[in-house]
Amino acid sequence: MSWRTILGVVALNAWFLVVGVGVLFALRGWRSWGELARLCGLAYMLGIAATAVVLVWALVLTVPFSVATVIGAGALVALVAAFAGGRTGRRLPSRPRPRVPGWSLVATVSAALVVVYCEAQFRAGRLASLTEFDGWFFWVAKARAIFSFGDLDPQFFRELPHHGYPPLVPTLEAAAMRFMGSADVVTLHLQFWFLLVGFVAALVGLLAPRVRPLFLWPPLLLVLVTPRVSGYALQAQADFLLEELLAVAALLIGLWLVDRSDWQLVAAGIVLAAAMLSKREGALFGACVVLAGLGATWRQRRTAWPRLVGVGVAAAAATLPWWILLHVRGLGAETPEAGGIGLFSHLDLAWPSLKLTFSTLFDYHQWLLVVPVAALAIAGAFVAGARRLPSYALLLFVFGAAALTYTTWAFPSIPITKAPVNPIIRLTGWLVLVTPAVIPLVLNEGWDAE
Amino acid sequence: MAAAVVVATGFGLGYYAQALSHLGDTASANSRLSYEDREIGGGNSIVVDQEAAYEARGLIPPSARYRVVTGGRLRNATSLTGSFVDGWYRSFLIPRRRSPTASWVICYGCDVGALGGAYTVRWQDDNGISIGEVR
Repeated sequence: MSWRTILGVVALNAWFLVVGVGVLFALRGWRSWGELARLCGLAYMLGIAATAVVLVWALVLTVPFSVATVIGAGALVALVAAFAGGRTGRRLPSRPRPRVPGWSLVATVSAALVVVYCEAQFRAGRLASLTEFDGWFFWVAKARAIFSFGDLDPQFFRELPHHGYPPLVPTLEAAAMRFMGSADVVTLHLQFWFLLVGFVAALVGLLAPRVRPLFLWPPLLLVLVTPRVSGYALQAQADFLLEELLAVAALLIGLWLVDRSDWQLVAAGIVLAAAMLSKREGALFGACVVLAGLGATWRQRRTAWPRLVGVGVAAAAATLPWWILLHVRGLGAETPEAGGIGLFSHLDLAWPSLKLTFSTLFDYHQWLLVVPVAALAIAGAFVAGARRLPSYALLLFVFGAAALTYTTWAFPSIPITKAPVNPIIRLTGWLVLVTPAVIPLVLNEGWDAE
Repeated sequence: MAAAVVVATGFGLGYYAQALSHLGDTASANSRLSYEDREIGGGNSIVVDQEAAYEARGLIPPSARYRVVTGGRLRNATSLTGSFVDGWYRSFLIPRRRSPTASWVICYGCDVGALGGAYTVRWQDDNGISIGEVR
């Protein structure tokens, strides 16, 4: 809780940004320095995703975890990216020419509101204590173990609850602790502040030049002020990071549906890999994103499907080292109690699970009117004659709701309730965070169709 | 589509002040907490006595093993103490490792006669919590 620890977190996240800029250079480059500034949020999310995935692999391979490892992993990613960028003939633009961006009144006011909101989040998180149950019970405990022992200590990772949960979030937290110089569980909340800001910046940077300000900012502001986001976004556990990564991946695939630029799919693959290494549900929800893309490209399936399936397979393959380690150590993967055909033994839970999903998605006290707004936007875009992006968004919500229902249905021992014993409220956040990522595109396409 | 934009704008702006107020209240409440309150966090509703946590960290060497033993002689326990005190110490005391046969004992109202040896108390409080070694 000192300036030194704060500077440590700042340094770590600056490093993620530098790495991400390298990845962005390899993937697409930038035509001007202003464009790079606009895409800094995406670069940060790519940097954190790529570096954290490599760090998890390093831990699985028993590479000692230290500040040098974090820097080395990032440098490795950046070097590979720079080499790949150079091979494809990318060049940096000429010297920057300072100019005032021509923002509309809506964009300027909205951006100011978001900046003030982020500052308020910073103050709230700056001295937050580690009260969240899952946080101290196992997420941060695992991070402390990585920080203290420099590896995935066999005893702690066997004894701590949920040994089968992928370790990307504890790895990220341990990296923050290493850069802070101590296991400061208070300042650790600022790492999650950086993730929130990076997520918002990624969405704005990707969407601002493509959609009208009135379609971009209101959904974003609505999601940020929901009681759930304003109250829990900086918790030191995996839910919001997972949801932020999934939302960015959903946006990148949505953009690919329009542009068909392969860099968007590669970037989505990197982000999805990190999501799948963040929580078990990452694979399930990540599959929903890919499936929605498949459904939206039904007519172009011969050319589109191999690429989209490739993204899903590559992202899932990135998690293999972790599952192999679990197998080698003789630890179960903590698969659902009633997964697969086990669901048919609990058919009586299907309808209550679905009802719980919908009542949570539409829970005003958690998410205000985010999902109704998304539904209105999708319906409006269909009525206006748009098809591609409204179909994609509709499928995202349909598959997403089915996946959320599965998370309750497949665990018969968990009560069907919104009480904290059931993670349904936390899990529904992924569709809520997808809303400001995808719905602006839907609204824009609908408007253009009209 | 216009309805979606209007609803999002209305509720986004309408709840903006409330969100900022909530975040401001959270920041104020957090700043009023002591260093110990913040660091122990969720453990405040479990450990009964913050000093016990810090004494455990001070007395038990980082390379040593320990065990948390609970019993019925604990005073002022919360409803969460019995179920979660072991798990909370497991996280708080890393890199110290747990072992059911460890000589270091964090006794939460335990029966010291059943610890398996002579128990030398190194710290104790009025709630029936003690920290010591079994030889």
